[in-house]
Amino acid sequence: MVGLSEGEKQFLRGGIEQNLRADGRTRNQFRPISVETGVIPQANGSARVRLGATEVIASIKAELGKPSVLHPDKGKVSIFVDCSPTAAPIYEGKGGEELSMELSVSLERCLLGGKSGAGAAIDLSSLVLVEGKVCWDLYIDALVVSSDGNLLDSLAAAIKAALSNTGLPKVNVVLGASPEEQPEVDVSDEEFLQFDTSAVPVIVTLTKVGKHYIVDATSEEESQMSSAVSVSVNRNGQICGLTKRGGAGLDPSVIHDMVSVAKYVSQEFISVLDSEVAAAEASEE
Amino acid sequence: MRDLHLSLNQTQRVRLQAALDQLESDASSTAAAAASVTVADTIPVNHEDNILKGHGTSDLDGQVVATLCGVVERVNKLVYVRALRSRYKPEVGDIIVGRVIEVAPKRWRLEINFSQDAVLMLSSMNLPDGIQRRRTAVDELNMRSIFIENDVICAEVRGFQHDGSLHLQARSQKYGKLEKGQLLTVPPYLIKRRKQHFHHLEQYDVDLILGCNGFVWVGQHVDTTTKESTLLSDEPSDKEETNNAVPPETRRNICRIANAIRLLSVIGLTLSVESVTETVEESVRANVEINEMLSAEFYVQTVEREAQRRASLVRKRR
Repeated sequence: MVGLSEGEKQFLRGGIEQNLRADGRTRNQFRPISVETGVIPQANGSARVRLGATEVIASIKAELGKPSVLHPDKGKVSIFVDCSPTAAPIYEGKGGEELSMELSVSLERCLLGGKSGAGAAIDLSSLVLVEGKVCWDLYIDALVVSSDGNLLDSLAAAIKAALSNTGLPKVNVVLGASPEEQPEVDVSDEEFLQFDTSAVPVIVTLTKVGKHYIVDATSEEESQMSSAVSVSVNRNGQICGLTKRGGAGLDPSVIHDMVSVAKYVSQEFISVLDSEVAAAEASEE
Repeated sequence: MRDLHLSLNQTQRVRLQAALDQLESDASSTAAAAASVTVADTIPVNHEDNILKGHGTSDLDGQVVATLCGVVERVNKLVYVRALRSRYKPEVGDIIVGRVIEVAPKRWRLEINFSQDAVLMLSSMNLPDGIQRRRTAVDELNMRSIFIENDVICAEVRGFQHDGSLHLQARSQKYGKLEKGQLLTVPPYLIKRRKQHFHHLEQYDVDLILGCNGFVWVGQHVDTTTKESTLLSDEPSDKEETNNAVPPETRRNICRIANAIRLLSVIGLTLSVESVTETVEESVRANVEINEMLSAEFYVQTVEREAQRRASLVRKRR
């Protein structure tokens, strides 16, 4: 990341205080978002999301597997993020590992709920085919191609778009004669079941610079942040996850205010994202 | 600046394609003499004359073949290919905007969007007290009080060093540290060399510096005649922040001009004071919000306006 001079930093901070950022946005505006679905034909579902100069690609692959012994009635979902060195030279080799881990964990927390599966955005019981024996394993992989701030929001949007693009093949299960036998599965090539993504939340990150918080910070604005709160909100306005980053401490009333601002901003973002995804799916056909 | 990926709806796509087609047809009708070549095209040349093969050409089986994509230029006996898009090619006297990356003994090293870093010697820079004197060891130790890492500086190319890197000078009052604004990066070939690179847009109270290396500075106007006095006084930095905050109206103008530059660089039009001010005035006339200047609708409108302008120029010429 290129450094900023003192004059530029002051200009940036002054702009945030006066509610006019460097590209003309107010504090609560997102950059224009562009969505393409079906970019990876071999995957069950995929999407590429561009938020300004930030670009991420998410792909979803589904494989048949055995559910875990602790939760025989739930499928499995795992999320993995990779920061490509094309995004920034520091991500080369092991440099991007820490950021990738942090992003993967935040996304898992927001989308998969608690350890028992409570509060998950993706209904894991819908992934089970035969209880205790056969279930779908979803592998969600995301790649950060270009980074200009606000990676978490764009990753969540890409995963949401990829999920709506996902088609799980219809499976005919033939139960074996005895309960211990492994059932036979016949994976159909023709029929597909679409995912219902109306319950999948989006993440809105609020970056605190000075006394104000901004939505969708560019990497220059992020370099000036004191702390950031990422809130995951679904369409009903319910909070599905919360992450706080940054060294500065925050007063509880400030966090309360940030959460309500995130809720308000997320409703418009969800509708914009849904319309973009619908347009992308329509143009893909 | 990366390309804008705009979601154009069907009508916008149709309009954009029509405007681009019109621009292309205008270009081909006026540029009949310009021979554009791609790599491995043979350049038509009269073999009886002793032709000097210049940059971008190569001899292949007795034929002169282009090694670049560009336009063939002929000057007396010299034939060369001028590339349309290339890295910044510095010349002596160019106005440059750069960022300090290192404070070295008796010099500053600047990053200027070139293959090598440029060097600004301490002796090529005015001292804060303005006196012309020999630089002493104390001056060398106080270099940090003039420029520090990451500062944005405006300077002029003085010459080339033996290894090809640039030597800069910033002796005039109009050169020096740039504050209270933003730095934009555009492809260097969009900025042509003109007589003036410093523009003071009076109606907006904004300074616009089009650096030949592709760095463009848009900031609040600084009166260069009073610049020296501010360097002498020792104001503490937070007092400066509250006193010298950019007023909201100027900030709006700065953001509008910056967005106009971003838009023009994405379309690929040459950046000049006239094109930038025209785009800004058009956006104000059309009541476009500042952040909407980068949207699909204004993008298509700007391309259409450029097509109309060139068509009317062609008609006037006939």
